[in-house]
Amino acid sequence: MEISKTSTGLKDILCPDTESTEVDIHADGVEMIKSLCYFCHANCGVLAYVKDGDVIKIEGDPNYSSQGGLCCRGTSALLHVNHPARINHALKRVGEKGEGKWEQIDYDQAIQEVADRLNQIKAESGAEAVASAGGTTRTDDWARRRFLNQFGTPNGFHNALLCWIPTFMAETCVAGWSPFETDLGGAKSLILWGMNPGASTLGGMHGYTDLQKAGLKIIMVDPRYSETASKADLWLPLRPGSDAALALAMLHTIVYGGMADYDFIGKWCDGFDDLMDHLAQYSPEWAAPITWLEPEQIRQAAMMYATNKPGCIQWGCTWDQIGRASTTGSHAIALLRAVTGNLDVPGGDGMPGPALNFLTDEELELNECLPEEQKAKQISRYKLTSWPGYQIISDTARRTWGKTLPTEWFCEAHGPSVFKAILTGDPYQVRALICNATNPVNSYGDAKMTLAALKACEFLVVVDYWMTPTALFADYVFPAAGALERPTIVTHYGATDSLMGGRRAIQPKFDRHTDMVFWRKLGLACGQDPANWPWETEEEAYYEVLKGIGLPVSNYNEFVDNVRMYYPPLHQSKFEKNGGFWTPSGKVELNSTIMRQLGFPGMPTYIGTIENPIDTPELLDEYPIVLTTGGGFMPYHHSEHFQMQGIRYLYPDPYFSINPELAEKLDIEYGDWCWIETRRGRIKMRANVEPEVDPRVVFAPRGWWFPERDGSADLDNPFGCLESNVNTLTSVDEEHCDPMGGSWANRGLLCKVYKCTELDHEFKPEDAQFSIPGSVAEPGIHEMPSSRPLAREEIPFEMPQYEGGEVPEGYDWVWQNNTLYQKGTNYKLDASGWLINPRNKAYYDAYTGWRYDAGEECLVDDETGKRYTMDREEIKYMGAYRLYPGAEAPYAVPEQLVWKEEGYATLPGRDELIYDSNSGWLVDPATNVYYDAYYGWAYDPTANCLIDMATGKRYTMEYQEMAE
Amino acid sequence: MKHHYWEPPIALYLFLGGLAGGILFLSAVFNTFVVPGFAEVFAMPVLVSLVCIAIGCVFLVIDLGQPGVFWRVWTTATSIIKWGATFLVIAAVFALLFFLAYLGDAWPIFAGLSDLLKPAAGFFLGVAGFFGLCIMMYTGIMLSTLKAHAFWATPALPVLFTVSAISTGCAAVVLSIGGWPAEVTLGTLIVSEVVLEILHVVDIILVITEFIILMTMVLSFLGAGNVTAKKAAKRWVCGSYAPLFWIGMVLVGLVIPFALYVGGSGAASQLVAPILVLIGGCLLRFLVVNTDDRAPIPGEIRYYERVAKPDAEFVHKWTYGENIF
Amino acid sequence: MTRYVMVIDQRRCIGCHSCTVACRTWNKLPLDIIYNPVVTEGAQGTWPHVHKSWTPLLCMHCENPECVPCCPSGASQQDPDGTVWVDPKKCLSCKVCVNACPYGMRDASHLESRLHRFVRKCTFCRDKRQLDPDAQPYCVLTCHQKARVFGDLDDPESEVSKLIGSVKTERLFEEFGTEPQIYYIPELGGKA
Repeated sequence: MEISKTSTGLKDILCPDTESTEVDIHADGVEMIKSLCYFCHANCGVLAYVKDGDVIKIEGDPNYSSQGGLCCRGTSALLHVNHPARINHALKRVGEKGEGKWEQIDYDQAIQEVADRLNQIKAESGAEAVASAGGTTRTDDWARRRFLNQFGTPNGFHNALLCWIPTFMAETCVAGWSPFETDLGGAKSLILWGMNPGASTLGGMHGYTDLQKAGLKIIMVDPRYSETASKADLWLPLRPGSDAALALAMLHTIVYGGMADYDFIGKWCDGFDDLMDHLAQYSPEWAAPITWLEPEQIRQAAMMYATNKPGCIQWGCTWDQIGRASTTGSHAIALLRAVTGNLDVPGGDGMPGPALNFLTDEELELNECLPEEQKAKQISRYKLTSWPGYQIISDTARRTWGKTLPTEWFCEAHGPSVFKAILTGDPYQVRALICNATNPVNSYGDAKMTLAALKACEFLVVVDYWMTPTALFADYVFPAAGALERPTIVTHYGATDSLMGGRRAIQPKFDRHTDMVFWRKLGLACGQDPANWPWETEEEAYYEVLKGIGLPVSNYNEFVDNVRMYYPPLHQSKFEKNGGFWTPSGKVELNSTIMRQLGFPGMPTYIGTIENPIDTPELLDEYPIVLTTGGGFMPYHHSEHFQMQGIRYLYPDPYFSINPELAEKLDIEYGDWCWIETRRGRIKMRANVEPEVDPRVVFAPRGWWFPERDGSADLDNPFGCLESNVNTLTSVDEEHCDPMGGSWANRGLLCKVYKCTELDHEFKPEDAQFSIPGSVAEPGIHEMPSSRPLAREEIPFEMPQYEGGEVPEGYDWVWQNNTLYQKGTNYKLDASGWLINPRNKAYYDAYTGWRYDAGEECLVDDETGKRYTMDREEIKYMGAYRLYPGAEAPYAVPEQLVWKEEGYATLPGRDELIYDSNSGWLVDPATNVYYDAYYGWAYDPTANCLIDMATGKRYTMEYQEMAE
Repeated sequence: MKHHYWEPPIALYLFLGGLAGGILFLSAVFNTFVVPGFAEVFAMPVLVSLVCIAIGCVFLVIDLGQPGVFWRVWTTATSIIKWGATFLVIAAVFALLFFLAYLGDAWPIFAGLSDLLKPAAGFFLGVAGFFGLCIMMYTGIMLSTLKAHAFWATPALPVLFTVSAISTGCAAVVLSIGGWPAEVTLGTLIVSEVVLEILHVVDIILVITEFIILMTMVLSFLGAGNVTAKKAAKRWVCGSYAPLFWIGMVLVGLVIPFALYVGGSGAASQLVAPILVLIGGCLLRFLVVNTDDRAPIPGEIRYYERVAKPDAEFVHKWTYGENIF
Repeated sequence: MTRYVMVIDQRRCIGCHSCTVACRTWNKLPLDIIYNPVVTEGAQGTWPHVHKSWTPLLCMHCENPECVPCCPSGASQQDPDGTVWVDPKKCLSCKVCVNACPYGMRDASHLESRLHRFVRKCTFCRDKRQLDPDAQPYCVLTCHQKARVFGDLDDPESEVSKLIGSVKTERLFEEFGTEPQIYYIPELGGKA
């Protein structure tokens, strides 16, 4: 790192010349560009100072919602852009896979070579043999899906199933959208459930203290004493993974304790009696041994939440990471919000709905390009988050909101199943994988299996900033442009209605390209229709996205410069105006019909984590300690930033947390390297002996690999990507995954912990052996994934039959509310025989699709702008003036005028003029000049007089001729 | 906690500076008050002190981060280090003058210069001896003013360092008195023998004194209320420094020389004992300099244990400006 | 007169290390130099009755600094506004000031060229303030939690003056008589 000007002449030794390295942002030629950080989802505001085409400095933007704050990652952006280990050119493998021998080739040439190979695979094995992996939001995902849909493969996936998506789907099944907006100012209670804003979303943490002073009650659910826990009014340190039991017991307490909002339930909910019966079994006493909490604590939490209204539950991602119990937990939490009447009310859980005035990601994905038969080939047995569930939820959203969810994230292949398909050919051979913005070895479950799949993959393409363990095995590595090199738009995929933006500070360096450009180039090289790739740059695409808002800007950069943050006013209590919730039945479905239709229980039915003292006591002898993994920790984000020396220096080694009591029992001291072992493998980390976890629990952070090592030197464990990686311990076995959402088992596992000894200190090749199903004892493939059972058997569901016999052609029938919806538009067929558009509640003609305009008592074709009478005859116009051909005059015609059969009145011989009955004047529609209705003289508004155009004479308004 | 900012060269410098000061001080005292007229027997000890000062200064300067700026040490008024440097230079200059006054006895080429300087030789040695005393006191005072360090910030430390400096000075004089360039005559032999006899007794007293001061200091820290000093003393008495302290400093540096001085004769008391005293003195400086414990700010120790070390692999893996891929 | 001080609100600090990284990034520090470590003893107590707080450290810019008078070369000095800083041109790197500081807030890097190492320390972003007198130090600007407040203690209207006048603040190691000028609002063990 160049610190200061140092030279070695004699003068410099006697009088060293060390100048200030401070960058003067006020100097001539320095331009300030409003940008956004791009290292996590928070996307804090950044001001980039640019001189001569290069960023010389960045600062947090004090006028952005992040108030000038930037964390370790954000503040290192400039070091990230210029990091010596960044991939700067397209790399083509020239040695063996993993050997680390690369040839730098031209970007476009690499694109063409990859496209040719993908087309060949598609021709030989079908488009579905090509899959694409993503990580978390660090790219324009819609562009990827736009490519995949046109290419014809349904097998795109992310870590979405561990992060919010199953929750979103369960919540949408219950209430019609995910309540993920908070209105803390009006809230009286707040549950932070499996969420630690103190480490993960710094912006959010700010201000809780003030709100608490004003009376907000904070309930914290976290097995770890987190940054946020000490500030809480009530902290529930539950057993990791027992969230579902806690939520069910809280529901039980509220429902049986008379604390539910019965007005709301009576008016807006369906299935309360079912729910009450169902919950009878889930008392706090039942939950106590599962959760390690006292029944009284559970009651207290339920009471605090239910009696301090309005209240909100902020979403964390933990309950999505519990494996087979995941969606059961989030489903129960969704019901907690519902029975307390906290949905969509001021101070409660805001339900923004999809963005209606700008383009959502779904509208950019070209999902209509993917044929139905390809959708059916999607590799996932978990219906809630793949096409079967998505289709129902999406159709419902279109019918209720008028827009829907993107398929990226919400409708994906099951990542681990795709990796298994690469290894086993089950259900079919996946031959090519494109990894964009992800390092699956570290971020997906069962790292050993994932690494094996990446090695075995016939054709692997990686788009990344770094030479990751994944990129090491690639055939082609493409350099990605990152923070500062790309514009950023924050729309949350269009799942909410606010929009924020930042400009790119500089053009991508070297031969780096943004991800959208990568997918566009690849699409075009594969032969996709250029008309489907209309935008060459993100700026063009983003402007298209926000055009609909109608802001006075003419391009994206102008939007950032002048607007930057677009927050529509909070729309609350929409369900009242809407006359219902956005579910198929229009009610909050306490016994979800969509869940049942998919073969799941309609109400959350308890299931434990894959390994726990109650269901699998036989494991306790060998694995007595509960392991919880993951959890964001500063200063890293997922598996990123281990190369950033300034950050790494502060946290060079992986540390797991262990209570001093347990550490003493195991003879472990602070800083000792220890093995953590589950049934599936073992890793080593250093001990952070600290009472921040229960003495029966250890907590291990995620993401660890060691980019400073020579990856090719140890292909069993390249870059040390297995040895301290918690995903070596997690499980992706079919019956361990959530049968609804597909989330794999990250938390609430059982493990043992022992000190590394001198003889057993190195991660050995046998520690790296993978197995299907996951087992440390038996390496190798023992069973085809499709022959494994799921955690829960499907519950057969019989759809009611449409009472009218055949469903009319062109319509879909929704059994829940016994209503027909027009195919394509998804407009509801009203009892009156009209169609109703869910977005604007306007009526449409069921035959023509024309909108009814009550003001003019006519029909409007919004596509052409043409208007029609109620008899569906086109209305003709002369300029802006309506004609009434062949009819009686609809207004009184002055006697000096004549009625023309084209349908208007005028002075005899002055056919070019039309009588305007509102003003009593004649008008020339071509010029909009007014003429007197008696003499046909033109009106001169500047002189306020009349002019006879034939003679040129001027008259006063009283028809007196004026002197020249 | 971040500490050990001063590395071995500084400890060595403090030892050598004290040693040189001790030699000069003793030589001056003996030459002026005890055996006047035989200054040439102190030429060799003064040469030893000069070498010590030279080596010490080299260690000091190379330990600096910007040695070229060394001259700036005389640009301020307040710093104790400035005084130390000044004492060193003055002592060294007058010691050199004294030595040159007798160098001509061995090397005729310097005879003229020596003849010129000889009349003032006693004065030179007196001045050098006075500043030698200053050096001895300075090394301990300098450390004891750094009050952030509980183990240093005690008046006992300058006394201990001064006593140890004189004691090691004794040992060095014993080993070097009467040597080259002094011609061996009956007079010098007798004078040397007289001085040796006196020094023998003096050093016994000094060793006892040093032992008392050392034990008083360490043991009073051990029982003191100051947590940091107590922790450091514990390390000396029964912790990681205990072997060096008990065996190295106390046994080898003090008890055995004392026994040899008292009970031994010939080589045992005139060769082995002084060398052991020198070793003990050197060890003392190392242990004291290394015992730079600060009162830690809560959490500081944990923090610095966890951060990387400057030699970590990732620190040196990438250099900005290079591009690997 | 101006007297710059900093108030650190430990009720807000959550130990994210952003200030540490912002400082080292923009002051272009060698990796082994950390001006403002954020330290913690970890959770204290017995599970589940535990408590945790963080102490962001930096040079205390003492009213009566130990590190200035001991400097033999005049490199270590204090501005009239209280800023204690080291002139790298003058510094010998003898490290007497490093040893003099009771807070351990100074050091020379081991990663710089052997003949050009000088003692470094927090300067309240002096270089930045020389370019723009109203500038705030990097650690203050970057803090999401707004746990650090920088300002002029001699200005009764400044936020620091108001905070120090209205909230109980503590200073580290006052017993050394250094009059440190970093004021901590302690974490009280619960709600603020």
